[in-house]
Amino acid sequence: MKLEIGQIFIRDIQFDAVSRIENNILYVNTQELKALLLEDEHLASVDFEIAKPGEKTRIIPVKDVIEPRVKVEGGGGIFPGVLAKVEAVGSGRTNVLKGAAVVTTGRIVGFQEGIIDMSGPGADYTPFSKLNNLVLICETVDGLKQHAHEKVVRFAGLKTAAYLGRLAKELVADEVKTYETPSVKEGMLKYPDLPRVAYVLMLQSQGLLHDTYVYGVDMKQSLTTMLYPTELMDGAIISGNCVSACDKNTTYHHLNNPVVEDLFAKHGTELNFVGVIITNENVYLADKERSSDWTAKLVELLGVDGVVISQEGFGNPDTDLIMNCKKIEAKGVKTVIITDEYAGRDGASQSLADADASADAVVTGGNANMVIELPPMERIIGHKEAADVIAGGFDGSLKEDGSIVAELQVITGATNELGFNKLSAR
Amino acid sequence: MVKEIERAGLPVVHICTVVPISLTVGANRIVPAVAIPHPLGNPSLTPAEEKEIRSKLVDKALIALSTEVTDQTVFEMS
Repeated sequence: MKLEIGQIFIRDIQFDAVSRIENNILYVNTQELKALLLEDEHLASVDFEIAKPGEKTRIIPVKDVIEPRVKVEGGGGIFPGVLAKVEAVGSGRTNVLKGAAVVTTGRIVGFQEGIIDMSGPGADYTPFSKLNNLVLICETVDGLKQHAHEKVVRFAGLKTAAYLGRLAKELVADEVKTYETPSVKEGMLKYPDLPRVAYVLMLQSQGLLHDTYVYGVDMKQSLTTMLYPTELMDGAIISGNCVSACDKNTTYHHLNNPVVEDLFAKHGTELNFVGVIITNENVYLADKERSSDWTAKLVELLGVDGVVISQEGFGNPDTDLIMNCKKIEAKGVKTVIITDEYAGRDGASQSLADADASADAVVTGGNANMVIELPPMERIIGHKEAADVIAGGFDGSLKEDGSIVAELQVITGATNELGFNKLSAR
Repeated sequence: MVKEIERAGLPVVHICTVVPISLTVGANRIVPAVAIPHPLGNPSLTPAEEKEIRSKLVDKALIALSTEVTDQTVFEMS
Protein backbone atom coordinates (compact mmCIF):
# COMPACT_ATOMS: atom_id res chain seq x y z
CA MET A 1 0.00 0.00 0.00
CA LYS A 2 1.40 3.36 -1.07
CA LEU A 3 0.42 6.85 0.06
CA GLU A 4 1.72 10.24 -0.99
CA ILE A 5 1.41 13.03 1.56
CA GLY A 6 1.28 16.44 -0.07
CA GLN A 7 2.21 19.08 2.48
CA ILE A 8 0.88 22.59 2.11
CA PHE A 9 2.71 24.76 4.61
CA ILE A 10 0.40 27.10 6.51
CA ARG A 11 2.21 30.12 7.93
CA ASP A 12 -0.82 32.05 9.18
CA ILE A 13 -4.58 31.82 9.79
CA GLN A 14 -6.92 34.78 9.28
CA PHE A 15 -10.67 35.32 9.39
CA ASP A 16 -12.08 36.42 6.03
CA ALA A 17 -15.25 36.52 3.94
CA VAL A 18 -14.17 33.55 1.81
CA SER A 19 -12.58 30.38 3.15
CA ARG A 20 -9.50 29.55 1.06
CA ILE A 21 -5.76 28.98 1.11
CA GLU A 22 -3.68 31.58 -0.67
CA ASN A 23 0.08 32.14 -0.49
CA ASN A 24 0.25 29.64 2.37
CA ILE A 25 -2.26 31.60 4.45
CA LEU A 26 -5.42 29.88 5.62
CA TYR A 27 -8.46 32.18 5.46
CA VAL A 28 -11.59 31.09 7.32
CA ASN A 29 -15.17 32.26 6.84
CA THR A 30 -16.41 31.60 10.35
CA GLN A 31 -20.07 32.23 9.49
CA GLU A 32 -20.08 29.48 6.91
CA LEU A 33 -18.25 27.14 9.27
CA LYS A 34 -20.53 28.02 12.16
CA ALA A 35 -23.63 27.24 10.08
CA LEU A 36 -22.15 23.86 9.19
CA LEU A 37 -21.36 23.01 12.83
CA LEU A 38 -24.67 24.25 14.24
CA GLU A 39 -26.48 21.68 12.09
CA ASP A 40 -25.87 19.52 15.17
CA GLU A 41 -28.84 20.42 17.38
CA HIS A 42 -26.91 19.46 20.52
CA LEU A 43 -24.42 22.24 19.93
CA ALA A 44 -25.78 25.46 21.48
CA SER A 45 -22.99 27.77 20.36
CA VAL A 46 -19.61 27.75 18.73
CA ASP A 47 -17.10 30.59 18.68
CA PHE A 48 -13.76 30.82 16.96
CA GLU A 49 -10.40 32.22 18.03
CA ILE A 50 -7.00 32.05 16.38
CA ALA A 51 -3.99 31.20 18.54
CA LYS A 52 -0.55 31.72 17.02
CA PRO A 53 2.95 30.80 18.21
CA GLY A 54 4.50 33.35 20.55
CA GLU A 55 1.23 34.96 21.62
CA LYS A 56 0.47 35.46 25.32
CA THR A 57 -2.45 33.09 24.96
CA ARG A 58 -3.64 30.10 26.98
CA ILE A 59 -6.18 27.55 25.71
CA ILE A 60 -7.97 25.67 28.52
CA PRO A 61 -9.49 23.07 28.82
CA VAL A 62 -8.24 21.47 25.60
CA LYS A 63 -10.14 18.39 24.43
CA ASP A 64 -8.64 17.40 21.09
CA VAL A 65 -6.20 18.68 18.49
CA ILE A 66 -6.74 17.75 14.84
CA GLU A 67 -4.75 18.36 11.66
CA PRO A 68 -6.78 19.30 8.56
CA ARG A 69 -6.36 16.78 5.73
CA VAL A 70 -8.13 15.82 2.52
CA LYS A 71 -8.06 12.79 0.22
CA VAL A 72 -7.00 13.83 -3.26
CA GLU A 73 -6.66 10.38 -4.84
CA GLY A 74 -7.30 6.85 -3.62
CA GLY A 75 -10.15 5.12 -1.83
CA GLY A 76 -12.16 6.50 1.05
CA GLY A 77 -12.16 9.87 2.77
CA ILE A 78 -10.52 11.38 5.85
CA PHE A 79 -11.89 9.95 9.14
CA PRO A 80 -13.47 6.88 7.49
CA GLY A 81 -16.38 5.32 9.34
CA VAL A 82 -16.78 8.54 11.30
CA LEU A 83 -17.20 11.41 8.83
CA ALA A 84 -16.50 9.67 5.52
CA LYS A 85 -18.14 6.40 4.52
CA VAL A 86 -16.49 3.17 5.65
CA GLU A 87 -13.92 2.42 2.98
CA ALA A 88 -10.27 1.45 3.36
CA VAL A 89 -7.92 4.45 3.33
CA GLY A 90 -4.14 4.72 3.25
CA SER A 91 -3.41 4.69 -0.48
CA GLY A 92 -3.25 7.31 -3.24
CA ARG A 93 -2.70 10.92 -2.30
CA THR A 94 -3.62 13.02 0.74
CA ASN A 95 -3.06 16.75 1.14
CA VAL A 96 -2.20 18.13 4.58
CA LEU A 97 -2.35 21.66 6.00
CA LYS A 98 1.04 21.43 7.70
CA GLY A 99 1.51 23.95 10.49
CA ALA A 100 -2.20 24.39 11.17
CA ALA A 101 -4.47 22.64 13.65
CA VAL A 102 -8.00 22.66 14.98
CA VAL A 103 -8.17 22.79 18.79
CA THR A 104 -11.43 22.13 20.63
CA THR A 105 -12.31 23.73 23.95
CA GLY A 106 -15.47 24.69 25.85
CA ARG A 107 -17.02 23.81 29.20
CA ILE A 108 -15.19 20.86 30.72
CA VAL A 109 -16.52 17.36 29.94
CA GLY A 110 -14.18 15.12 31.92
CA PHE A 111 -11.55 16.10 34.45
CA GLN A 112 -8.67 15.02 32.26
CA GLU A 113 -8.52 17.80 29.72
CA GLY A 114 -5.48 19.98 29.18
CA ILE A 115 -3.72 23.29 28.67
CA ILE A 116 -1.90 24.73 25.65
CA ASP A 117 0.16 27.88 26.26
CA MET A 118 1.28 29.64 23.09
CA SER A 119 4.31 31.25 24.79
CA GLY A 120 6.27 31.11 28.05
CA PRO A 121 7.53 28.02 29.86
CA GLY A 122 4.31 26.06 29.23
CA ALA A 123 4.74 26.44 25.48
CA ASP A 124 8.02 24.51 25.63
CA TYR A 125 6.17 21.46 26.97
CA THR A 126 3.58 21.15 24.18
CA PRO A 127 4.16 20.67 20.46
CA PHE A 128 0.91 22.51 19.73
CA SER A 129 2.33 25.89 20.75
CA LYS A 130 4.30 25.82 17.48
CA LEU A 131 1.19 25.62 15.28
CA ASN A 132 -1.31 28.14 13.97
CA ASN A 133 -4.43 26.97 15.77
CA LEU A 134 -8.05 27.58 14.91
CA VAL A 135 -9.69 27.18 18.32
CA LEU A 136 -13.34 26.14 18.59
CA ILE A 137 -15.14 27.13 21.78
CA CYS A 138 -18.02 24.67 21.80
CA GLU A 139 -20.89 24.91 24.28
CA THR A 140 -23.58 22.27 24.24
CA VAL A 141 -27.28 22.50 25.03
CA ASP A 142 -28.31 22.00 28.68
CA GLY A 143 -29.07 18.58 30.03
CA LEU A 144 -26.70 16.65 27.79
CA LYS A 145 -25.00 13.67 29.46
CA GLN A 146 -21.19 13.66 29.57
CA HIS A 147 -20.75 11.06 26.83
CA ALA A 148 -23.09 12.93 24.49
CA HIS A 149 -21.27 16.18 25.32
CA GLU A 150 -17.90 14.64 24.47
CA LYS A 151 -19.29 13.30 21.17
CA VAL A 152 -20.72 16.66 20.12
CA VAL A 153 -17.39 18.41 20.67
CA ARG A 154 -15.44 15.57 19.05
CA PHE A 155 -17.54 15.80 15.88
CA ALA A 156 -17.32 19.61 15.77
CA GLY A 157 -13.53 19.31 15.75
CA LEU A 158 -13.45 16.60 13.09
CA LYS A 159 -15.94 18.40 10.84
CA THR A 160 -13.91 21.61 11.08
CA ALA A 161 -10.69 19.78 10.18
CA ALA A 162 -12.42 18.16 7.20
CA TYR A 163 -13.90 21.53 6.13
CA LEU A 164 -10.47 23.19 6.22
CA GLY A 165 -8.86 20.17 4.56
CA ARG A 166 -11.22 20.42 1.59
CA LEU A 167 -9.77 23.87 0.83
CA ALA A 168 -6.53 22.10 -0.10
CA LYS A 169 -8.01 19.48 -2.44
CA GLU A 170 -6.98 21.23 -5.65
CA LEU A 171 -3.75 22.81 -4.39
CA VAL A 172 -0.23 21.97 -5.52
CA ALA A 173 1.72 20.72 -2.51
CA ASP A 174 4.87 22.48 -1.32
CA GLU A 175 6.46 19.15 -0.51
CA VAL A 176 5.49 15.54 -1.20
CA LYS A 177 6.48 12.55 0.91
CA THR A 178 5.87 8.96 -0.15
CA TYR A 179 5.23 6.04 2.20
CA GLU A 180 4.96 2.46 0.99
CA THR A 181 4.36 -0.83 2.77
CA PRO A 182 4.91 -3.99 0.73
CA SER A 183 3.01 -7.21 1.45
CA VAL A 184 4.70 -9.54 3.94
CA LYS A 185 5.93 -11.77 1.11
CA GLU A 186 7.19 -8.92 -1.09
CA GLY A 187 8.96 -7.32 1.86
CA MET A 188 10.82 -10.53 2.71
CA LEU A 189 11.94 -11.04 -0.89
CA LYS A 190 12.95 -7.41 -1.30
CA TYR A 191 14.87 -7.04 1.97
CA PRO A 192 16.08 -10.57 2.82
CA ASP A 193 18.87 -9.34 5.10
CA LEU A 194 17.06 -6.64 7.05
CA PRO A 195 15.53 -7.21 10.50
CA ARG A 196 11.73 -7.23 10.30
CA VAL A 197 10.01 -4.90 12.77
CA ALA A 198 6.35 -4.42 13.73
CA TYR A 199 4.79 -1.64 15.76
CA VAL A 200 2.29 -2.42 18.53
CA LEU A 201 0.14 0.66 19.04
CA MET A 202 -1.87 0.50 22.28
CA LEU A 203 -5.09 2.50 22.23
CA GLN A 204 -6.89 3.88 25.26
CA SER A 205 -10.28 2.14 25.53
CA GLN A 206 -11.33 2.16 29.18
CA GLY A 207 -14.71 3.75 28.59
CA LEU A 208 -15.85 6.55 30.93
CA LEU A 209 -14.65 9.13 28.37
CA HIS A 210 -11.46 7.20 27.68
CA ASP A 211 -12.10 5.91 24.17
CA THR A 212 -10.54 5.59 20.75
CA TYR A 213 -12.30 4.82 17.48
CA VAL A 214 -10.92 2.87 14.52
CA TYR A 215 -12.91 3.26 11.31
CA GLY A 216 -15.72 4.27 13.67
CA VAL A 217 -15.44 1.11 15.80
CA ASP A 218 -15.18 1.67 19.54
CA MET A 219 -11.82 0.02 20.24
CA LYS A 220 -12.90 -1.50 23.55
CA GLN A 221 -15.26 -3.72 21.56
CA SER A 222 -12.56 -4.87 19.14
CA LEU A 223 -9.98 -7.60 19.36
CA THR A 224 -6.36 -6.81 18.57
CA THR A 225 -5.96 -6.32 14.82
CA MET A 226 -3.65 -4.93 12.13
CA LEU A 227 -3.48 -1.80 10.00
CA TYR A 228 -1.23 -0.55 7.26
CA PRO A 229 0.74 2.37 8.75
CA THR A 230 -0.56 4.75 6.06
CA GLU A 231 -4.15 4.18 7.20
CA LEU A 232 -3.30 6.21 10.32
CA MET A 233 -2.28 9.13 8.10
CA ASP A 234 -5.80 9.25 6.62
CA GLY A 235 -7.54 9.36 10.00
CA ALA A 236 -8.41 5.68 10.48
CA ILE A 237 -7.87 6.25 14.22
CA ILE A 238 -9.44 9.15 16.09
CA SER A 239 -9.38 10.17 19.73
CA GLY A 240 -12.52 10.36 21.84
CA ASN A 241 -10.39 10.54 24.84
CA CYS A 242 -10.36 12.67 27.97
CA VAL A 243 -7.54 10.72 29.65
CA SER A 244 -4.66 12.70 31.17
CA ALA A 245 -3.75 15.56 28.84
CA CYS A 246 -0.02 14.93 28.95
CA ASP A 247 -0.08 11.36 27.66
CA LYS A 248 -3.25 10.91 25.68
CA ASN A 249 -2.90 10.63 21.94
CA THR A 250 -4.91 13.38 20.30
CA THR A 251 -6.21 12.82 16.77
CA TYR A 252 -3.27 15.00 15.63
CA HIS A 253 -0.87 12.47 17.19
CA HIS A 254 -2.55 9.56 15.41
CA LEU A 255 -2.30 11.37 12.06
CA ASN A 256 1.38 12.16 12.67
CA ASN A 257 2.50 9.11 14.66
CA PRO A 258 6.28 9.60 15.09
CA VAL A 259 6.97 5.88 15.60
CA VAL A 260 5.43 5.22 12.18
CA GLU A 261 7.35 8.17 10.72
CA ASP A 262 10.69 6.97 12.12
CA LEU A 263 10.17 3.32 11.17
CA PHE A 264 9.36 4.44 7.61
CA ALA A 265 12.53 6.58 7.61
CA LYS A 266 14.61 3.45 8.26
CA HIS A 267 12.46 1.15 6.13
CA GLY A 268 14.48 -0.54 3.39
CA THR A 269 17.86 0.58 4.73
CA GLU A 270 18.14 -0.46 8.38
CA LEU A 271 14.97 -2.49 8.83
CA ASN A 272 11.84 -3.79 7.17
CA PHE A 273 8.77 -2.11 8.71
CA VAL A 274 6.13 -4.81 8.45
CA GLY A 275 3.02 -3.06 9.82
CA VAL A 276 1.02 -1.81 12.78
CA ILE A 277 -0.74 -4.03 15.30
CA ILE A 278 -3.40 -2.10 17.20
CA THR A 279 -4.64 -3.29 20.56
CA ASN A 280 -6.83 -1.92 23.36
CA GLU A 281 -6.55 -1.09 27.07
CA ASN A 282 -9.77 -2.33 28.67
CA VAL A 283 -10.95 -2.39 32.28
CA TYR A 284 -11.61 -6.12 32.68
CA LEU A 285 -8.64 -8.33 33.50
CA ALA A 286 -9.91 -11.00 31.08
CA ASP A 287 -9.85 -8.40 28.27
CA LYS A 288 -6.29 -7.43 29.15
CA GLU A 289 -5.21 -11.10 29.05
CA ARG A 290 -7.10 -11.80 25.80
CA SER A 291 -5.84 -8.70 23.97
CA SER A 292 -2.22 -9.18 24.98
CA ASP A 293 -2.41 -12.89 24.05
CA TRP A 294 -3.67 -11.74 20.65
CA THR A 295 -0.87 -9.19 20.26
CA ALA A 296 1.74 -11.85 20.91
CA LYS A 297 -0.01 -14.27 18.52
CA LEU A 298 -0.01 -11.74 15.67
CA VAL A 299 3.66 -10.95 16.30
CA GLU A 300 4.44 -14.67 16.16
CA LEU A 301 2.36 -15.15 13.02
CA LEU A 302 4.20 -12.30 11.28
CA GLY A 303 7.50 -13.84 12.36
CA VAL A 304 9.13 -10.46 13.03
CA ASP A 305 12.48 -9.96 14.75
CA GLY A 306 11.58 -6.94 16.85
CA VAL A 307 8.63 -4.91 18.08
CA VAL A 308 8.19 -1.33 19.26
CA ILE A 309 5.30 -0.99 21.75
CA SER A 310 3.75 2.37 22.66
CA GLN A 311 1.35 2.90 25.57
CA GLU A 312 -1.41 5.46 26.01
CA GLY A 313 -2.36 6.83 29.42
CA PHE A 314 -1.08 5.49 32.71
CA GLY A 315 -2.03 3.44 35.77
CA ASN A 316 -3.78 0.20 34.90
CA PRO A 317 -2.68 0.44 31.20
CA ASP A 318 0.80 -0.15 32.63
CA THR A 319 -0.40 -3.74 33.07
CA ASP A 320 -1.51 -3.98 29.43
CA LEU A 321 1.92 -2.64 28.46
CA ILE A 322 3.81 -5.13 30.59
CA MET A 323 1.58 -8.03 29.45
CA ASN A 324 2.24 -7.14 25.80
CA CYS A 325 5.96 -6.86 26.45
CA LYS A 326 6.24 -10.05 28.50
CA LYS A 327 4.16 -12.20 26.15
CA ILE A 328 5.95 -10.98 23.01
CA GLU A 329 9.37 -11.48 24.61
CA ALA A 330 8.27 -15.00 25.60
CA LYS A 331 7.87 -15.71 21.86
CA GLY A 332 11.56 -14.89 21.45
CA VAL A 333 10.96 -11.47 19.88
CA LYS A 334 12.79 -8.39 21.15
CA THR A 335 10.73 -5.43 22.36
CA VAL A 336 11.22 -1.78 23.18
CA ILE A 337 8.46 -0.10 25.18
CA ILE A 338 7.60 3.61 25.11
CA THR A 339 5.85 4.94 28.20
CA ASP A 340 5.95 7.88 30.61
CA GLU A 341 6.35 8.08 34.37
CA TYR A 342 4.30 8.95 37.44
CA ALA A 343 7.25 8.89 39.78
CA GLY A 344 6.03 11.45 42.31
CA ARG A 345 6.83 15.15 42.39
CA ASP A 346 10.43 14.40 43.40
CA GLY A 347 10.76 11.61 40.82
CA ALA A 348 11.76 9.12 43.54
CA SER A 349 8.76 6.74 43.41
CA GLN A 350 8.22 3.69 41.22
CA SER A 351 7.53 5.00 37.71
CA LEU A 352 5.04 2.40 36.50
CA ALA A 353 2.29 0.52 38.33
CA ASP A 354 3.53 -2.78 36.89
CA ALA A 355 6.92 -4.18 35.94
CA ASP A 356 8.67 -7.24 34.59
CA ALA A 357 12.29 -8.26 34.01
CA SER A 358 11.62 -8.70 30.28
CA ALA A 359 10.89 -4.97 29.97
CA ASP A 360 14.60 -4.23 29.71
CA ALA A 361 14.47 -1.63 26.93
CA VAL A 362 12.35 1.34 27.92
CA VAL A 363 11.95 4.82 26.47
CA THR A 364 10.28 7.42 28.71
CA GLY A 365 8.38 10.55 27.76
CA GLY A 366 9.12 12.17 31.12
CA ASN A 367 7.71 12.42 34.66
CA ALA A 368 4.12 13.70 34.59
CA ASN A 369 4.12 14.47 38.34
CA MET A 370 6.76 17.17 38.05
CA VAL A 371 5.39 20.51 39.33
CA ILE A 372 5.49 23.46 36.97
CA GLU A 373 4.47 27.10 37.20
CA LEU A 374 2.71 28.76 34.29
CA PRO A 375 2.71 32.57 34.30
CA PRO A 376 -0.48 34.56 33.69
CA MET A 377 -1.48 35.10 30.05
CA GLU A 378 -3.07 38.14 28.43
CA ARG A 379 -5.73 36.14 26.64
CA ILE A 380 -7.55 33.04 27.88
CA ILE A 381 -9.47 30.98 25.33
CA GLY A 382 -11.96 28.72 27.09
CA HIS A 383 -12.52 28.48 30.84
CA LYS A 384 -9.58 29.25 33.14
CA GLU A 385 -11.26 27.85 36.29
CA ALA A 386 -10.81 24.36 34.82
CA ALA A 387 -7.20 24.57 36.12
CA ASP A 388 -8.38 23.61 39.62
CA VAL A 389 -10.13 20.43 38.50
CA ILE A 390 -8.21 18.93 35.57
CA ALA A 391 -5.91 15.99 36.38
CA GLY A 392 -2.60 17.36 37.61
CA GLY A 393 -4.28 20.49 38.92
CA PHE A 394 -5.67 20.85 42.45
CA ASP A 395 -7.79 23.23 44.48
CA GLY A 396 -5.73 26.42 44.41
CA SER A 397 -3.82 25.63 41.21
CA LEU A 398 -5.21 28.79 39.64
CA LYS A 399 -3.72 31.82 41.43
CA GLU A 400 -5.37 35.20 41.73
CA ASP A 401 -3.01 36.76 39.19
CA GLY A 402 -3.96 34.09 36.64
CA SER A 403 -0.82 32.00 37.00
CA ILE A 404 -1.14 28.24 37.46
CA VAL A 405 0.88 25.89 39.65
CA ALA A 406 0.19 22.28 38.75
CA GLU A 407 1.74 18.98 37.76
CA LEU A 408 3.09 18.64 34.24
CA GLN A 409 0.23 16.29 33.36
CA VAL A 410 -2.05 19.32 32.79
CA ILE A 411 -0.23 20.19 29.55
CA THR A 412 -1.57 18.61 26.38
CA GLY A 413 1.03 16.31 24.86
CA ALA A 414 3.77 17.01 27.45
CA THR A 415 4.81 13.41 28.15
CA ASN A 416 3.35 11.81 25.01
CA GLU A 417 4.09 8.10 24.83
CA LEU A 418 4.56 8.04 21.06
CA GLY A 419 7.60 10.25 21.61
CA PHE A 420 5.88 13.24 20.01
CA ASN A 421 7.68 15.68 22.29
CA LYS A 422 11.10 16.52 23.63
CA LEU A 423 11.12 15.16 27.20
CA SER A 424 12.97 11.92 27.92
CA ALA A 425 15.78 10.52 30.05
CA ARG A 426 19.00 8.62 29.69
CA MET B 1 -1.44 0.44 52.03
CA VAL B 2 -1.70 -3.35 51.90
CA LYS B 3 1.96 -3.72 52.75
CA GLU B 4 2.03 -1.07 55.48
CA ILE B 5 -0.95 -2.59 57.33
CA GLU B 6 0.64 -6.03 57.11
CA ARG B 7 3.89 -4.61 58.41
CA ALA B 8 1.94 -3.46 61.47
CA GLY B 9 0.95 -7.09 62.05
CA LEU B 10 -2.57 -7.34 60.61
CA PRO B 11 -3.37 -9.69 57.73
CA VAL B 12 -4.82 -7.96 54.64
CA VAL B 13 -6.78 -9.18 51.67
CA HIS B 14 -6.58 -7.04 48.56
CA ILE B 15 -9.76 -7.08 46.46
CA CYS B 16 -8.66 -5.74 43.09
CA THR B 17 -9.26 -6.04 39.37
CA VAL B 18 -5.74 -5.91 38.02
CA VAL B 19 -4.24 -8.89 39.81
CA PRO B 20 -0.81 -8.54 38.13
CA ILE B 21 -0.33 -5.09 39.71
CA SER B 22 -1.33 -6.46 43.11
CA LEU B 23 1.21 -9.26 42.67
CA THR B 24 3.89 -6.77 41.58
CA VAL B 25 3.38 -4.53 44.59
CA GLY B 26 3.49 -7.52 46.94
CA ALA B 27 0.00 -8.27 48.29
CA ASN B 28 -0.17 -11.72 49.91
CA ARG B 29 -3.91 -12.42 49.73
CA ILE B 30 -5.64 -11.31 46.54
CA VAL B 31 -9.29 -11.64 45.52
CA PRO B 32 -9.95 -10.70 41.84
CA ALA B 33 -12.68 -8.07 41.47
CA VAL B 34 -15.14 -7.30 38.66
CA ALA B 35 -13.67 -4.36 36.70
CA ILE B 36 -11.58 -1.26 37.33
CA PRO B 37 -14.43 1.30 37.35
CA HIS B 38 -16.69 -0.99 39.39
CA PRO B 39 -14.64 -3.52 41.40
CA LEU B 40 -17.53 -4.74 43.57
CA GLY B 41 -20.48 -4.22 41.25
CA ASN B 42 -21.66 -4.38 37.68
CA PRO B 43 -23.87 -1.60 36.33
CA SER B 44 -25.24 -3.88 33.60
CA LEU B 45 -26.95 -6.06 36.24
CA THR B 46 -29.95 -5.44 38.50
CA PRO B 47 -29.28 -4.09 42.03
CA ALA B 48 -30.23 -7.50 43.48
CA GLU B 49 -27.75 -9.28 41.21
CA GLU B 50 -25.08 -6.74 42.06
CA LYS B 51 -25.65 -7.32 45.77
CA GLU B 52 -25.16 -11.04 45.25
CA ILE B 53 -21.81 -10.44 43.49
CA ARG B 54 -20.73 -8.11 46.27
CA SER B 55 -21.73 -10.55 48.95
CA LYS B 56 -19.82 -13.40 47.28
CA LEU B 57 -16.70 -11.26 46.90
CA VAL B 58 -16.78 -10.23 50.56
CA ASP B 59 -17.34 -13.85 51.65
CA LYS B 60 -14.36 -14.90 49.53
CA ALA B 61 -12.29 -12.11 51.05
CA LEU B 62 -13.16 -13.23 54.58
CA ILE B 63 -12.17 -16.81 53.71
CA ALA B 64 -8.89 -15.48 52.30
CA LEU B 65 -8.28 -13.43 55.41
CA SER B 66 -8.62 -16.47 57.65
CA THR B 67 -6.50 -18.76 55.44
CA GLU B 68 -2.83 -19.30 56.27
CA VAL B 69 -0.60 -18.52 53.29
CA THR B 70 3.11 -19.08 52.79
CA ASP B 71 3.36 -17.27 49.45
CA GLN B 72 1.41 -14.68 47.41
CA THR B 73 -1.99 -16.33 46.83
CA VAL B 74 -4.81 -15.45 44.44
CA PHE B 75 -8.21 -16.65 45.70
CA GLU B 76 -10.14 -17.16 42.46
CA MET B 77 -13.94 -17.01 42.55
CA SER B 78 -15.42 -20.43 41.83
